[in-house]
Amino acid sequence: MKSFFWENLRIALSELWGHKTRSILTGTGIVIGIIAVSLMSTLINGVDGLFEESMKFLGRGNLYVEKWPWFGDEDWWTLRNRPRIELDMAEAIKERSQYAMVVAAERGRSANLSYKELSAENIYIHGVTANYPEVSTVDVEYGRFFTESEDRTGAQVVLLGSEVAKTLFPQGNPVDKMIFAGSKRFRVIGVLAEMGKFMGAFSNDTQVIIPLATFNKIFHGPWGRRSITVKVPEHLVEEAKEELRGVVRVLRGLKPEEKDNFAINQQNAFRQSYQGIKLAIGGTGMIITALSLLVGGIGIANIMFVSVKERTREIGVRKALGATRSQIQGQFLIEAMVITASGGLVGLIISTLISMAISKFLFPATMSFGVAFMAIALSATVGLFAGLAPARKGAKLDPIEALRYE
Amino acid sequence: MSLIQVKDLYKIYQMGNTEVRALDGVSVTIEKNEYVSIMGPSGSGKSTLMNLLGCLDTPTSGEFFMDGINVATMGDDELAHIRNKKIGFVFQTFNLLPKSTSLRNVELPLIYNGEIKAADRRDMAIRALTRVNLGDRVSHKPNELSGGQRQRVAVARALVNNPAIILADEPTGNLDSKTGEEIMVLFDELHKQGNTIILVTHEEHIAAHASRVVRLLDGKIAVDEATHRGKK
Repeated sequence: MKSFFWENLRIALSELWGHKTRSILTGTGIVIGIIAVSLMSTLINGVDGLFEESMKFLGRGNLYVEKWPWFGDEDWWTLRNRPRIELDMAEAIKERSQYAMVVAAERGRSANLSYKELSAENIYIHGVTANYPEVSTVDVEYGRFFTESEDRTGAQVVLLGSEVAKTLFPQGNPVDKMIFAGSKRFRVIGVLAEMGKFMGAFSNDTQVIIPLATFNKIFHGPWGRRSITVKVPEHLVEEAKEELRGVVRVLRGLKPEEKDNFAINQQNAFRQSYQGIKLAIGGTGMIITALSLLVGGIGIANIMFVSVKERTREIGVRKALGATRSQIQGQFLIEAMVITASGGLVGLIISTLISMAISKFLFPATMSFGVAFMAIALSATVGLFAGLAPARKGAKLDPIEALRYE
Repeated sequence: MSLIQVKDLYKIYQMGNTEVRALDGVSVTIEKNEYVSIMGPSGSGKSTLMNLLGCLDTPTSGEFFMDGINVATMGDDELAHIRNKKIGFVFQTFNLLPKSTSLRNVELPLIYNGEIKAADRRDMAIRALTRVNLGDRVSHKPNELSGGQRQRVAVARALVNNPAIILADEPTGNLDSKTGEEIMVLFDELHKQGNTIILVTHEEHIAAHASRVVRLLDGKIAVDEATHRGKK
């Protein structure tokens, strides 16, 4: 049987080579289908990686008490009218909550920085408590973080994000240099390690960190983000969330019938909404793939019927010389599968190139071996199904009729 | 036992309400190394008989033994195997695969044999081509060959499997008389080398190459006699 496979493969290749334009046109549907499926899975893998990478910034066991929920469909005006988060709640929360291990508070807004003639505009100034490193992924590359006493006294010290450090200090060590934030002078006490972007968009490296008390002293007014981060044991995060809600409600003096006038955010919210987006992308991809493979498959079935008709006499000769039904059927099936598998291969090459481009310019997206294997197997399967009916038709031809066919 | 034993062979087609008896009780026996021509006007059942002898078709009723094997009741795939191993076809229109070289064309029956290794196939095909004096045209395609050469490739293809019979259907029909005569000389040689040849033709001078002639008329054998050559 093995020799028939190679023989059939050889016939298929020479047939397809003999009808180059036809083969290319026929295979195009499959090429598109395979590009759709392999690119889609590669993109999803890439976005997955990106997402998980981003989720590291939001610890699994972190609960964020904020005015605005991260996701949800509550009425904007209601949310708008909620009171600001009082950051001094942090201490009370620490005292009252059973689960809270660390409670950190932060504020943020943007400002322009300058050092001598160099300036960095629209830099996110992050005012945080001294325990902030315990609830975040910030890492001091050189220099040091500020101390609790520096926070208490409102010391004008600053840690630079790696991008900010590069902009203001293209060469040389920024530590102990004095920079300006607006009209205030700050002493650089450290530089943060590079962190990358959140969801591929918001860079964590263009921020600077100052003590919260210093922030409060310098920047007045209601604007900017305010958040209390409560770190709890990861496996108890749901219980802790309920407890925290109760604690904040009590601190806010809410009556039982009143709704929460704050939000408790967590990583899960991101996960849930991300899952939804992923399903939507994946679902669209599957529909595009299925449609183009279906259309491609119909095209192949069609062209195989033509091919069988054109080669009726050849089939007659082969049968007269001793080809059995299954050998003829195999010949046309393999021909159909060679078209689709080659289409799959071309599609795979194109989508590999595209994903390489995406990796280079957008985010890491590499095609996995599994995806490549699936693409080829899928396209060959389409060929198998598309070729079945034409191959059977050819195999069933009566050799006498076929030999007489002009 | 005779090579071909046919007894009371009927092939009946139903055309609407009318019954067409393409073969109406044919009995014939052909021995090994015989050289038989089958003649008859169109509609005589000549083609039907050839298709049956070539195992391309099965009879409505009757007995047909080839080399001791009962062929009359075989299914499609069994018939394909018999054709592959026992019969070498030579057609009027050559029926070579146009895109394949002489070598590939001659190899074809060996490929469907399924038991012969690629290297052996090549050797056997080259030997068959050499036997028909085309040892130097191995890698030519049919459109690079003359009509006579094409028919000789077809003869090589018929020979390559060492078939029990060579079945030639009007082998000179598409050739000019000189080339046709060359092909007939080739058949004569093959016969001398011990092959059994059945020749279907409507031309007397072609049929005269055989040693026996079977004449059909209205689905029945009208004459079955030795030719002038056969009487010698």
